[in-house]
Amino acid sequence: MALDSLDRSPPPFFRVGFAPLTKLIFFGTLSLVLMYGDKQLQFTQPIRAGLSTLVMPVQWLVLQPGQAMSYIGKHFQTLAQAQQELETAQRKALSQSASSQQVAQLQIENQSLRQLMGLQNKLASASQVAEVLFDVPDPYNQRIVIDKGSFKDVVLGSPVIDAGGVVGQVTRVYPLSAEVTLLTDRDQSIPVLNSRTGARNITSGDILMGVPSIELKFVPASADVKEGDLLTTSGIDGVYPAGLMVGRISHIERRVDISFARIHAVPLAELKGRHILVLQPTGAQPGAKGKTP
Amino acid sequence: MIMERGQALLLPVSPLFIIVSLVGAVVLSMLLGLAQALWLPDVLAVCIFFWGIHQPRRVGMAIAFILGLWMDVQQSSLMGQHALCYVLLNYFAYNMHRRLLWFPIKEQMIQILPFFILADALGLLIRMSTGDDFPGWSLLLVPFLETMLWPAANFILLAPQRRAHDPDANRPL
Repeated sequence: MALDSLDRSPPPFFRVGFAPLTKLIFFGTLSLVLMYGDKQLQFTQPIRAGLSTLVMPVQWLVLQPGQAMSYIGKHFQTLAQAQQELETAQRKALSQSASSQQVAQLQIENQSLRQLMGLQNKLASASQVAEVLFDVPDPYNQRIVIDKGSFKDVVLGSPVIDAGGVVGQVTRVYPLSAEVTLLTDRDQSIPVLNSRTGARNITSGDILMGVPSIELKFVPASADVKEGDLLTTSGIDGVYPAGLMVGRISHIERRVDISFARIHAVPLAELKGRHILVLQPTGAQPGAKGKTP
Repeated sequence: MIMERGQALLLPVSPLFIIVSLVGAVVLSMLLGLAQALWLPDVLAVCIFFWGIHQPRRVGMAIAFILGLWMDVQQSSLMGQHALCYVLLNYFAYNMHRRLLWFPIKEQMIQILPFFILADALGLLIRMSTGDDFPGWSLLLVPFLETMLWPAANFILLAPQRRAHDPDANRPL
């Protein structure tokens, strides 16, 4: 047996490199600096964006077999199912046609009324469709990754909606992708309007009995809030356009010893399909600045 | 050359296989990440620890750090969180690599469990200290499952080195 086939060579005598403890201290400090920088100073974003351009193609490639399988699965779904879906869609379109026909007329009417009253024109948001790639695997927060990034003019802070309502907000932008923090994340807030009473509030994400939900903050215990109230975006933040569906109040807890009520709402965003709509933040739109009366 | 009685002589490791195994672990962790389950073990941590034990001169803390940063970007966690855990795991692996392989596999598992617990606890501590919520109790299963992967890692990652050194028609592998 040749000697070089054995894996028992002695360690090198002279070139042994740094001591392990030195290396541990070096890399440990570097990690701590990065963590502090990521949390407090936000200087790691270029590193993250650079690394993500390496990670994303690999991640995209890994996702492909699964997507191909689901595509093939869909391809072979029965004709009856397709027909049924078509019928549902047609019925839905029909039921919406009346209101959609009125929208154009209402918009003109609204515009002229606003002009009469000297109010700023309500801005229509520019939007683009994006595809949800996957949920972020980090268990500590609730985010999704979409397939449009800064190359496709997705900007930080863009509101994201789907057929049901507001999904969340773009919180990290990479060249090829972006991360959307869901409304149910505890760090995510959105200003809302109770459409029944007209009261304005702020929500943030919370977990109620294991289910991600949104919580209405700083509502006095005596406030007029009922279960089933619809929450929409108020539009005063300069980010979300007004009137988007956010959630429905599901749980109210009033306690004597706390001056605020604990109010939870179920988000209306469906997050079932693969497609979502990324809007331009209202404050970032051309012509939005300097026009306020 | 001091070896334990009955221990098989291994072929030298192929650096290419180390790279392939680490890349494979990264891809596997991506796939496991899609499942969104808290209790799924971190296969990359096991892989880094394994090579830290078996090939401490090839897979060191620099590689652990870089792979950790990769995981931080991939999982979109705090930058440096996985990097610190992997570097620490690799350091522990280096410190015990001469001793550990003298034990049978079950006793190895008992000895490495505390280090996986420590690494996962560190990750949890970092996130809790930066203001995140406790994600759930099934997280506590992770270090145990990672330890359970140790025999499998031994079987799979050492397989290329267990081949015959002079393959012939009767022993192709």
